[in-house]
Amino acid sequence: MADFLEKSKRYKVAGHIFEVSQGICEGFFAKFMDNYAPFVVDESSDVASASNLFAIKVEHSDEMPQYNEDVCQDEEGQQIHCGSIGEKAVFDFRLRGELTGMLICSKDYKEASLLIPNGTSFNLLKFAVNNSLMVLYAIASASCYTLLFHSAVVNYHGKGYMFLGKSGTGKSTHARLWLKYNEGSELLNDDNPVVRFFKDGENSYARVYGSPWSGKTPCYKNEDYPLGGFVLLAQAPFNEIKRLRGVMAYAAIVPHISGKRWESVIADGLHKTENLLAMNVPIWHLDCLPDEGAAKLCVANIAQDKKEP
Amino acid sequence: MRIKKGFVLREVCGEQVIMGEGVGALDFGKLLCLNETAAWLWKRAEEAGDWTVESLAEALCGEYDVDSARALADVKNIVAEWQKVNVLE
Repeated sequence: MADFLEKSKRYKVAGHIFEVSQGICEGFFAKFMDNYAPFVVDESSDVASASNLFAIKVEHSDEMPQYNEDVCQDEEGQQIHCGSIGEKAVFDFRLRGELTGMLICSKDYKEASLLIPNGTSFNLLKFAVNNSLMVLYAIASASCYTLLFHSAVVNYHGKGYMFLGKSGTGKSTHARLWLKYNEGSELLNDDNPVVRFFKDGENSYARVYGSPWSGKTPCYKNEDYPLGGFVLLAQAPFNEIKRLRGVMAYAAIVPHISGKRWESVIADGLHKTENLLAMNVPIWHLDCLPDEGAAKLCVANIAQDKKEP
Repeated sequence: MRIKKGFVLREVCGEQVIMGEGVGALDFGKLLCLNETAAWLWKRAEEAGDWTVESLAEALCGEYDVDSARALADVKNIVAEWQKVNVLE
């Protein structure tokens, strides 16, 4: 019953809290945001007083404002048009050409509203909400040593291993091969995990976190692990793995990180973290077939320290 | 000549690297590693805004112990590389 009247909810993903308020319908959070349920902030706990990374309001609108377009990204039938209205940043999310929602952000990306055209279907509204939250999350956390990746990630004996690659390379397929052939593997996230870098005195380390965004696979785990390594996948008629270092390692991870890189403050934040990851986390290149041999070769090389005392 | 808008020099794992970050440079799709001299010239070119091969060569002579013919040849080579990857206008 409570959810019927609910106007807002807060979520915590990889330690960062955001607030979603809505004027769409009764039962909005149960209906459209079920994938966020494991991430709900317990408002009776200590984090209740913690501040928001950003807040977003979702509402219907008859009319979409005009804006100046800067950039358009097109991937697999999904388009994001980015632009501005004065100092405000605008993102409009389209699925096969149809507008699903328009996100309008304050200059510092702390406040945003998502306008949904009247009559938008269930699936398109969900698409707009998820995309808006991912865009805002990636941008608002860029200066906090936090990166939103496009990757499939498995937890193998308590460490996270992330598989990277262009669309269609077989990230999810390779993750499935680990689950099948490398005992002790579990899927942590299939599409959009979060990575954070920490510096604690002399000690620096990275952790990988599950998120409410997991592509086509419903795997919304609120869990996190030390990051064991990245593997950039490439399809090949054989299996071969090699370690990447320096600029090559950096180049392997950067294309798989979300953000608005053409805004220099955001680019600075992303680069700082990317550079630290390239210098501190093992990064590998795997030429592979979609077979057992690939999963076995990969684990034997990248998780070789697991048996050490 | 000018450096096209959207291209930046960053330090990556201890190396000096040019990358495309701005609107219009996003599809650059590569990282260009510069040696010490090239990175120094890039910074001068950024500061100058508009520049010529000759003006950069002159700056190079002022900074490093190199004769003007050698400086001009070096700058020409480096600028030709930048032109090849299309980061100048």
